[in-house]
Amino acid sequence: MKVATAPGYNSGRVNERKILQGTGYTLMYLGLILVALVQIFPLVWLLIFSLKNNQEIFNMAPFSIPAHPHWENYVNVWTNGNIAQYFVNSVLITAIALALTVLLASFVTYAVTRMRWKGRSFVLGLFMVGLMIPVHSTLIPLFSLFLKLHLTDSPISIILSYVAFNLPTTIMILLGFYYALPKEVEEAAIIDGCSVNTMFFRIILPMTSSVLATTAIINMIYNWNEFIFVNTFISSDKYKTLTVGVQNFIGQYTTDWGAIGATLMISILPILIVFLLLSDRIVEGIAAGSVKG
Amino acid sequence: MSKNKVTQGLLLTLVLMLVLAGCGGGKNNNATNAANGGNTPATDATANEQKVTINMMHLWPAGVSAQQNKLVNQIIDQYQTDHPNVTIKEEVLDNEQYKNKLKVLSASNELPDVGITWAAGFMEPYVKGGLFAPIDDIKDGTLLKDKFVAGTTEAYAIDGKTYALPIELNISPIYYNKAIFEKYNLQAPTTYTEFKEVVKTLSENGIAPIALGNKDRWTGSLWYMYLADRIAGNDTLKNAIAGSGSFDDPGLVQAATEIETLVDMNGFNKGFNGLSNDEGKAEFMNEKAGMYLMGTWELPNFTTNPDIPQEFKDKVGFFKFPTVENGKGNIDSWVGGPGVGLFVAESSKVKEEAKAFVEYFVSKWGEDSVTTAGVIPATKVDTTKTELPQLYVDLLNELSKASSITLFADVQMKPSAAQVHLDMIQALFGKAVTPEQFATKHKEAIEKGN
Amino acid sequence: MEKVMSNKLVIALYVLPSLLLIMGIIYMPIVLTGYYGLNEWNGIGEMTFIGLENYKHLIQDSTFWSSAFHSFELALFSGISLIGYLLIALVLSGKIKGANLLRKIYLVPMLLSSVAIAQLWMKIYHPTNGVLNSLLMSLGVDNPPAWLAEPSIVLLALFVPIIWQYAGFYILIYYAALKNIPESLMEAARIDGANPWQIATRIKLPLMSEVIKVTIVLSVVGSLKYFDLIYVMTDGGPNGASEVMASYMYHKAFRSFDFGYGSAIGFFLLLVCLVATYLIRKATASKETIQYS
Repeated sequence: MKVATAPGYNSGRVNERKILQGTGYTLMYLGLILVALVQIFPLVWLLIFSLKNNQEIFNMAPFSIPAHPHWENYVNVWTNGNIAQYFVNSVLITAIALALTVLLASFVTYAVTRMRWKGRSFVLGLFMVGLMIPVHSTLIPLFSLFLKLHLTDSPISIILSYVAFNLPTTIMILLGFYYALPKEVEEAAIIDGCSVNTMFFRIILPMTSSVLATTAIINMIYNWNEFIFVNTFISSDKYKTLTVGVQNFIGQYTTDWGAIGATLMISILPILIVFLLLSDRIVEGIAAGSVKG
Repeated sequence: MSKNKVTQGLLLTLVLMLVLAGCGGGKNNNATNAANGGNTPATDATANEQKVTINMMHLWPAGVSAQQNKLVNQIIDQYQTDHPNVTIKEEVLDNEQYKNKLKVLSASNELPDVGITWAAGFMEPYVKGGLFAPIDDIKDGTLLKDKFVAGTTEAYAIDGKTYALPIELNISPIYYNKAIFEKYNLQAPTTYTEFKEVVKTLSENGIAPIALGNKDRWTGSLWYMYLADRIAGNDTLKNAIAGSGSFDDPGLVQAATEIETLVDMNGFNKGFNGLSNDEGKAEFMNEKAGMYLMGTWELPNFTTNPDIPQEFKDKVGFFKFPTVENGKGNIDSWVGGPGVGLFVAESSKVKEEAKAFVEYFVSKWGEDSVTTAGVIPATKVDTTKTELPQLYVDLLNELSKASSITLFADVQMKPSAAQVHLDMIQALFGKAVTPEQFATKHKEAIEKGN
Repeated sequence: MEKVMSNKLVIALYVLPSLLLIMGIIYMPIVLTGYYGLNEWNGIGEMTFIGLENYKHLIQDSTFWSSAFHSFELALFSGISLIGYLLIALVLSGKIKGANLLRKIYLVPMLLSSVAIAQLWMKIYHPTNGVLNSLLMSLGVDNPPAWLAEPSIVLLALFVPIIWQYAGFYILIYYAALKNIPESLMEAARIDGANPWQIATRIKLPLMSEVIKVTIVLSVVGSLKYFDLIYVMTDGGPNGASEVMASYMYHKAFRSFDFGYGSAIGFFLLLVCLVATYLIRKATASKETIQYS
């Protein structure tokens, strides 16, 4: 599938193998492009969806464009409810929780994989168990906990929950990468007289920047789209996030699907942009990470 | 080296402190409000009274076009203007999230001062748990005395006390597409035999006779309830649900058999068990299906909703669920009942103010809801005073001569039995259980609940 | 080296904050869930201690076992689909033209919230005017199935979007892992005359083994407690044909007001995940950790 040398069209030698390879390439590209089309469709669909009214959403084929696009869905979304406020909240909560999770998870993973102490696999096990509880089992206990701490209706409850529930996944992902880090780097650093902290911040974090970008993307998506905790722990409109904006259009008996589409469209744009930026970091990661002791 | 370490540590601490400080602000305000509210059991509004905040949780978001939401906000605004010391703090959630949150809040006894509840079986655990305050005093208070349609508040009464006041009253007719019926020379049926003829004709002509989205399951329950009512009679069904009768009753089993027959006749649109009510309804709105059994809350879609083409609205008529030959049912017996109602939390620190607000809300809602929101209230409506679409007038007239209104089974039953009922409905429609199994499972569930 | 890397203070500093956080936010609910599971409780007011009654009931509850079976099936499917994700990641990480753009496009769907994904697939599966059935009918299929209404196929119909939903997540992790492998290793192999397949199986995969193990655990545990799309698209129906453990737990605790029983299911689910993780770790345990040299 992957061939070491560049495709053969710029080479003058045409032999059987090259032709075969060429056909293989074409087929592979066709396949790849086909999958890419399939993957981009949901976004196109969502855009079209957001320009329809209920009648058109249920009447027309999913990908047919309405004769009179309902741009007013966007106006409706923008003017109804505190979408700007929700937006700011979403950005803040997502960013803070993400930064804390990635940092804390790196600390833990580092201590567990690189440092020597008794009980580290037990501690790792403790974190892994955190993956296993269904979210609905946690709502009633967590609510009463936050109530006792006077943290209900406070963004802190949300941030703490996000960090705690994302820590296990993040640690797990980091784990695979930390195990593969060469030991020599650390040895060299320690001989140079580095402290653990310095080594962690100066060497390990940069070396793992590609996986950090990966976990950051994953955390961002989770936090950005989460709504069960927000709904349960937050009651003031001023602390709610964009996912709640969707509910603004679900009525007792009627649901304004077009407006929901517009809300989803608006809410996907920021993470799309950040995703595109962060996703380049994954590649750059190797360059920055190839620090040799 | 060590300097670096300190700097990093400090930086981290600083970030954390900023986060905590930045987020802590709002919480204190709330605490102050609640404390203020708790200290002042005010009864009437005078200008120099202390500020009171009433927390209200409901499910009418401002974003949905239905005028219902405007009405809610109008009422709240008006109340706040009339009572400058009162602030109504709203929290809006959609149906599912609302029910979940109510449950979580209940576990910690932290219900909002005022909230929405459904009748009978739904509210029973909350009442038995002592979470809702009895509000008979405002039911019989100056604004609401004798205003309710007979029988509506009873659905919210448990052991002789009323724990919520209804703001909706619905009955469920079968809406039908007059143009489709005309095309195939069909008349609105009055007997079940005629009805089956209609189903047969439409089905043979490639039209889905009945629009149904049975993923939500209560939608299919309406069909079973009507058949049970028409075949076995109103009392048999009521008693079976209450536990004094039994689902073994041959009439009730026959009703389940009739559902199977309708399914076999291709009476419902394709894939109904995998479609939501919204999707099922769309079959009717798209004119791909001829009939749709649903509550009167759908009326705005057939009359006033500007998003629906007038051409379609003109085609919509309704008929009463037909009587079954030799059945014990009456054509004026309806499935429906009061929908949501307002409760006041027993634990509320501003209980008196909350009650006063609920009293005002229910009476004001009763005056305006039909005309502005198209919602039929549980309080009496004077049809002569207001200009209403014909469909409303006709159905309000039907409502006034209804011989009985049987409350939706899933609301009537206690939560666990209601879930069994709903699951069994979907299984019955999917032909995964026989009518006899259907009856047995119901019997077990009802007995377990009592 | 030894001394620096076993500095207790540093270890505590790195591990304790995260540990305390998950103790409060994840373990407290786990313990309480275990406790609720021993009680009869409707979520309101007093609990009645009934010992293991809920678990006795659970063992005889055929609906529970069929939902558990569905969860296992999902876990199996997700596990198998990891191979596909891995292949895609291998292709994308190769030096093919446009890989960067393709990779970004491939990952776009993972940004969508479950709400959007569920709506999209409900439109695809719609029995009469859905994308899939329109396609089948234009190909001459007379009576294509109602995908979400047939108990025999609904589960498979749900697995497709679930697996698709998570494709981005795993491709991203694999991609980052592949990019983390030093280019020099591959270069050396190429000089030795290794073909791309050999490079993939003999160099890349062994070096990724820790990451692959982690993803197996993540996908199995994630599948066992999966809830989102099933809840929106079928709500466990029709007739429980798509009920999984987490949705059954939700239905019991939140719909039937049987919070004690729901908690017992939740706790049991946790135990199942624990056993599954243990078995996976055991089965994939390697004698030595492979390192880059």
